[in-house]
Amino acid sequence: MAYAYLFKYIIIGDTGVGKSCLLLQFTDKRFQPVHDLTIGVEFGARMITIDGKQIKLQIWDTAGQESFRSITRSYYRGAAGALLVYDITRRDTFNHLTTWLEDARQHSNSNMVIMLIGNKSDLESRREVKKEEGEAFAREHGLIFMETSAKTASNVEEAFINTAKEIYEKIQEGVFDINNEANGIKIGPQHPTTSSILTSGQGGQQAGGGCC
Amino acid sequence: MTRTMEGEMTGNAAQALACCNDTDRIDPYGFERQHDFESYREMMNEYVAVLHRRSMRWTKLLQEKPQVEKNLTVKRFVRKGVPNEHRTRIWMAASGAQEQMESKPGYYQSLLAMEHDHKLKETITTDMHRTFPDNILFKNKAESGLQKELFNVLLAYGHHNPTVGYCQGMNFIAGYLIIVTKDEERSFWLMDALVGRILPDYYSPAMMGLKTDQEVLGELVRTKAPAVGQLMAQYPGIWTLVVSRWFICLYIDILPIETVLRVWDCLFYEGSKVLFRVALTLILHHQMEILRARSLPDVCQCFKEITCGAFTLDCHNFMQKIFSEPGSLSMATITKLREKCRQQILEEESRQP
Repeated sequence: MAYAYLFKYIIIGDTGVGKSCLLLQFTDKRFQPVHDLTIGVEFGARMITIDGKQIKLQIWDTAGQESFRSITRSYYRGAAGALLVYDITRRDTFNHLTTWLEDARQHSNSNMVIMLIGNKSDLESRREVKKEEGEAFAREHGLIFMETSAKTASNVEEAFINTAKEIYEKIQEGVFDINNEANGIKIGPQHPTTSSILTSGQGGQQAGGGCC
Repeated sequence: MTRTMEGEMTGNAAQALACCNDTDRIDPYGFERQHDFESYREMMNEYVAVLHRRSMRWTKLLQEKPQVEKNLTVKRFVRKGVPNEHRTRIWMAASGAQEQMESKPGYYQSLLAMEHDHKLKETITTDMHRTFPDNILFKNKAESGLQKELFNVLLAYGHHNPTVGYCQGMNFIAGYLIIVTKDEERSFWLMDALVGRILPDYYSPAMMGLKTDQEVLGELVRTKAPAVGQLMAQYPGIWTLVVSRWFICLYIDILPIETVLRVWDCLFYEGSKVLFRVALTLILHHQMEILRARSLPDVCQCFKEITCGAFTLDCHNFMQKIFSEPGSLSMATITKLREKCRQQILEEESRQP
């Protein structure tokens, strides 16, 4: 299907916070109670509409375990958006946010939009991190914030779409250089004037984009 | 503390088949096969004759020469498959695990008895319910469940090798070892042989061995299947995406279990080179399919599909293919490529902030 823009996302955060489940809920609208461990990097995609334009989200889901950082790090570059996820029922995963953020900021382009996500909001009785704490952290570091539940699908659409809206606004404001693919944004094949400028070779030929 | 599982799962080939649970669609290793039980069963019906023949040959060989030597006959035997009833013995002997275990009696137990790192314990615990949830032996509440054994092996290994500690992927490997050996201590020593000696550093924090081997595979593909090499070159970082799981999990959950165990026979006896043979065979055999991919998602999808189906399920045939299809692959070549790729990665990393 043709798209106006393609945005690359990366999902990061501690192991077991529900990154892959969020992705699965977003792309397939289903929840898998026992999800496979993500080893290395996995991949998902979905089309959304913003401002009447078709936008393809290409989402890289990374292994959360510390050992894997040395291989997942290289995927920060070339991402326009990042979902930084913690688990509201495990304070540890919240405490590690600073490290994740430093890592992300150091290895990504400076305009990358970061959405902070407190996942597993359905497990209210086991909550260890207050919503206000998440909000405060996001405010302090200039992130967007939402609490989600990959299980009930609460706020999952919104998390992915609001991130895209923010990126889209930045494009409108001219903050992103959309002709530089390193920013994680690609113009769709339906823009003949600009797509011919793309030099990487794949942008132009990829008519219609690969389905996923 | 070490517990041997009661009720041997697989005495010999015939028994192994008999242990297939048809009503619940469970294979002899405890895996529920809701989707592919028929094809698995069909394959096993044919394979059982091979297993039977190999089993007799092995029994005879081991009677004549109880010591597992490294020679051409045994190598040929290993490549043709080690029957389940001899697997533990052959793996232990070939990898040096047996020798290690005998030289350090009580060591494993002492690792379990010592005071444990809290963080390590927690990390391992997080993955317990995510290790083979589709296997009845690893289910939380299974009476003869193996979760405790799995936890112990990983915890002991983490303390034995603190540089590595616990890295995801090791849980699956330990799980398979426990399924095969039915013995915690032996699983631990086989783990030590794999992570400590046979494999490059796949599981240490820098994952240098993994990054290197991914690039080595890329180089081998460039030589042996230039068109595929060219396609892959369009997408930087793609090898991590498509093969990191192959290497880290040693093909667990990538290839069917019988096939994985056959690959492991060679892994323990001949070393890590066999991992490249498997990857190359999968890629070379499916060049046409791969070359049809028009985008990165296409390539990723294709690399998932080429590991499934009759080609990999028919383990005996597949194992013959891995030693013929990729052509010659000398250890000298691998060593040279590993050195070259390692240097490239180090240079690249030093250029980054």
